[in-house]
Amino acid sequence: MSCVRKVTEDLYWVGVNEKRLHLFENIHPIPRGVSYNSYLLLDEKTVLFDTVDWAGCREFLNNVKEVLNGRPLDYLVVNHMEPDHAASMEEVLLRYPECKVISNEKAFMFMHQFGFHVEDRKEEVKEGDTKTFGKHTVTFVAAPMVHWPEAMVTFDTTNGVLFSADAFGSFGSLDGKLFADEVNFDRDWIDDARRYFCNIVGKYGPFVQLLLKKAGTVPIKMFCPLHGPVWRNDLGYYLDKHDKWSRYEPEEKGVLVLYASMYGNTEAAAQELASKICDKGVTNVAMYDVSNTHVSYLVAEAFKYSHIVLASVTYNLGIYPVMYDFLHHLKALNFQKRTFGIIENGTWAIKSGTLMKEYIEEELKECTVLGAQVSVNSSADETNAPEFEALADAIVQSVQKLEL
Amino acid sequence: MFYATSKEHEELRAKVREWVEKEIKPIAFMLDKNNEFPREQIKAFGKMGLLGIPYPKEYGGLGKDIISYAIAVEELSRVDGGTGVILSAHVSLGTYPIFAFGTEEQKKKYLVPLAKGEKLGAFGLTEPNAGSDAGGTETTAELVGDHYILNGEKIFITNGGEADTYVVFAVTTPGIGTRGISAFIVEKGWEGFTIGDHYDKLGIRSSATAQLLFNDVKVPKENLLGKEGQGFKIAMNTLDGGRIGIAAQALGIAQGAYEAAVEYAKDREQFNAPIAQLQAIQFKIAEMATKIRAARFLVYSAAELKEHHEPYGMEAAMAKKYASDICLEVVNDALQIFGGNGYLKGMEVERFYRDAKICTIYEGTNEIQNVVIASHILGKAAKATAAPAKGKKKGPITGSRKKMILKDGSAKERVQTLVEALKADGHDFTVGIDINTPIIEAERVVSAGRGIGSKENMKLVTDLAAAAGAAIGSSRPVAEQLQYLPLNRYVGMSGQKFTGNLYIACGISGAGQHLKGIKDAATIVAINSNANAPIFKNADYGIVGDVNEILPLLTKALDTGAKKPAPPMVKMKKAVVDEPKPAPVGRYVCLGCGYEYIPELGDEEGDVRPGTSYKELPEDWICPDCGEEKANFIPSSNEK
Repeated sequence: MSCVRKVTEDLYWVGVNEKRLHLFENIHPIPRGVSYNSYLLLDEKTVLFDTVDWAGCREFLNNVKEVLNGRPLDYLVVNHMEPDHAASMEEVLLRYPECKVISNEKAFMFMHQFGFHVEDRKEEVKEGDTKTFGKHTVTFVAAPMVHWPEAMVTFDTTNGVLFSADAFGSFGSLDGKLFADEVNFDRDWIDDARRYFCNIVGKYGPFVQLLLKKAGTVPIKMFCPLHGPVWRNDLGYYLDKHDKWSRYEPEEKGVLVLYASMYGNTEAAAQELASKICDKGVTNVAMYDVSNTHVSYLVAEAFKYSHIVLASVTYNLGIYPVMYDFLHHLKALNFQKRTFGIIENGTWAIKSGTLMKEYIEEELKECTVLGAQVSVNSSADETNAPEFEALADAIVQSVQKLEL
Repeated sequence: MFYATSKEHEELRAKVREWVEKEIKPIAFMLDKNNEFPREQIKAFGKMGLLGIPYPKEYGGLGKDIISYAIAVEELSRVDGGTGVILSAHVSLGTYPIFAFGTEEQKKKYLVPLAKGEKLGAFGLTEPNAGSDAGGTETTAELVGDHYILNGEKIFITNGGEADTYVVFAVTTPGIGTRGISAFIVEKGWEGFTIGDHYDKLGIRSSATAQLLFNDVKVPKENLLGKEGQGFKIAMNTLDGGRIGIAAQALGIAQGAYEAAVEYAKDREQFNAPIAQLQAIQFKIAEMATKIRAARFLVYSAAELKEHHEPYGMEAAMAKKYASDICLEVVNDALQIFGGNGYLKGMEVERFYRDAKICTIYEGTNEIQNVVIASHILGKAAKATAAPAKGKKKGPITGSRKKMILKDGSAKERVQTLVEALKADGHDFTVGIDINTPIIEAERVVSAGRGIGSKENMKLVTDLAAAAGAAIGSSRPVAEQLQYLPLNRYVGMSGQKFTGNLYIACGISGAGQHLKGIKDAATIVAINSNANAPIFKNADYGIVGDVNEILPLLTKALDTGAKKPAPPMVKMKKAVVDEPKPAPVGRYVCLGCGYEYIPELGDEEGDVRPGTSYKELPEDWICPDCGEEKANFIPSSNEK
């Protein structure tokens, strides 16, 4: 019993799909599951590129065994030490006692910390080193802080395959499909790919840019990431997305409206503004209730759109905690370069608008808050009409003059 | 060791005393009363060579020592504190940086006429947000080709407007605090360099104190004083010496008040005898004389140290602090001895009493002097308490504004464009409020500044207010000095705050305190003949033009006959203005953990002062979060 797919000549996908896990990294919901990808190269030597999470170990070992078909495993290349890829390495090493581990100094240090003993069987490599397994020669390229410091990617110079570690990955289990061209990626996958990138690697834009620069110097034909589909066509589409995300540039001209409402009054204000914005011609508008949408979705949408409206009640003289949490995530993820509009609400001391504005201006890089603002006293009424009008105008003008 | 001045010193003292008693004393009351600068007198003083006392003869100076200079300031101040500081600001602040840090060319061009007294000098460091903390400097100088472009504002500048040559400090490298400041020599009359407000001061009223405004002023590269980034060092070094001048000024004021009190005590009889025979008065006089003698030794000793190129920073600070502190005590006792007579205008002691106070404030408050003195004794303040350099440049006081300045077309066309824009923004001119509505309740205010001119022109403003359905207001000087309107109608931080929808500023240049009073106005309109007036940077709409021409046109354009009463005010918010925050500069991220090094913050744990650039970090510096070496950092900007 096994579940394997051929990637290209000599190379096999031996990973597993995870559909029972609710929270990736025990924080991000993954209703569409996730795959842990591992790749096995059959050359004069046999080479396994990374392993899988402990949860999928048994199935994974079966896959490896079947592809090896009785051959010994000569090498395990560890590109990334995070346990969702490295947890099964101990079992691999027990089952294949001749197998040597190829990785870098930092990764070996992390193995030691996680309790994997590889002392007498390690082969340490560094940036630019090459290794020949027969027909195939690979080059090791450091990818520090994408999104761990030991991360590296391995480039097969023979066939142009890039084992890209966590780069170019996505949430979503493969369920039989393997290649991005076997699914409707831009319809069914891009949202999860974005949510994966922004929440996992979002903070490390400058490091992703460094890796993209290095990648630009070699003829890559295929991305083999550790999560999600393998890319063999239209690599430019996916590279461009990553370039935008890692430079914190929006993908689309449009408005994300996020509201924090206790009894529906702030929600109504958000709806009123949204209709005005659409009325004035900007219809690429998305709206979420921060209280019942997981923050990883909000963050991903924030990375997607050029403009963000925050509508929040005042709570304990501060920003509504769930809204504050969202802002805090943006800061932690190094989020940049957006224009914000603000709706505040309060019944006795309206403070959320001033505080959100301050937070954005002080804590988020290159972000602007529009001068127009809606201040609702409990529930919007006709006295707020000019404010809605002014804010909608300001947003529409700002969206329209933006060039992407 | 004999603590006494030389014969030469005393001859100079006699010469200055004779001059000041003859030329200044008779007019001192008038200068004080009229806030008037003794222009002709200072010119004559310069002709005598006395504006260049401590500078070498080869550069046009008198070639005398620092004590001689201190004596001259002391003697002028003994008669008039304001005249004393004119000399002090010229010699110590305006001229010294060029003498000490200028190139040979700069000295020939600028030092010589300053020392000869043909030109007057001034020093521009203080700004609204950079008082004791020069790290807050916001004036900028950007190198474009072979010129620096200077922009910003200096306040409280002694000799401002009267001086010909200004040493001005500006930021050439933003974001790294005091290390990014450079010094420039700027000439009066250069395009874009204007003199703003002349301050109405408590004392030293014969000295000029003004605001300097720089609007795209082209400063030739060769007018950079020292090197880029040396500005803070030059300023601190200059102020060390300047303190001797202020100490001498305080000493002179105290001496003048003391002498007047002694004379009066001998003359004034009560209980059938001169009050000088009363022990209460005797003790006062004894105390005053003792304090003055102690102060004089401190001042001369600091001057002597400087003359002999010994370290003198701490001693100059002590002299400034002590002399000014005792000066306040002495003028207080002197006035007390005079009793009610001393409380009257026209009495010297009344003027001395007011003149004295500034000495504990300027060229470093006495609290800052204590910081200087303590730092010499105990070392620099602990780094943990050092304030981070300001990373963020502040925008206009009134926040982001549209800044649509109408310069083109005929006056009529400009007015028409303005009215259409206001109507488009939602201002309804068929309704209006009473012209006497309190400012804080008013939806609209039409305000007059000094640019309005004579009192008859106020008619133009009231007509406009009526046509615009607005209340009437003014700037502070219009209410306080010109008295065109009652004091409760001036708008500003210290006056009434306007938070309504439309503010039309007529002939108002836009002093900081005025702008703070209108920062919450939804729409600000400025009408002023000076295109460089700060009000335009703080306005949504502006018309550059003469109020006499523009106001009647605007009145006509807005006039809709009788106004309907305005409905309750609906507060309009400030309109859009997208001004993207500039990208942070000079940040680096660690390849080992993603830590971001922010120069403005430095690294407290690693003993790196705020304002240290990545390049300036010591080679053995390591990442505070993961221990990675300095070399393993990459720039954090994400540009393509």
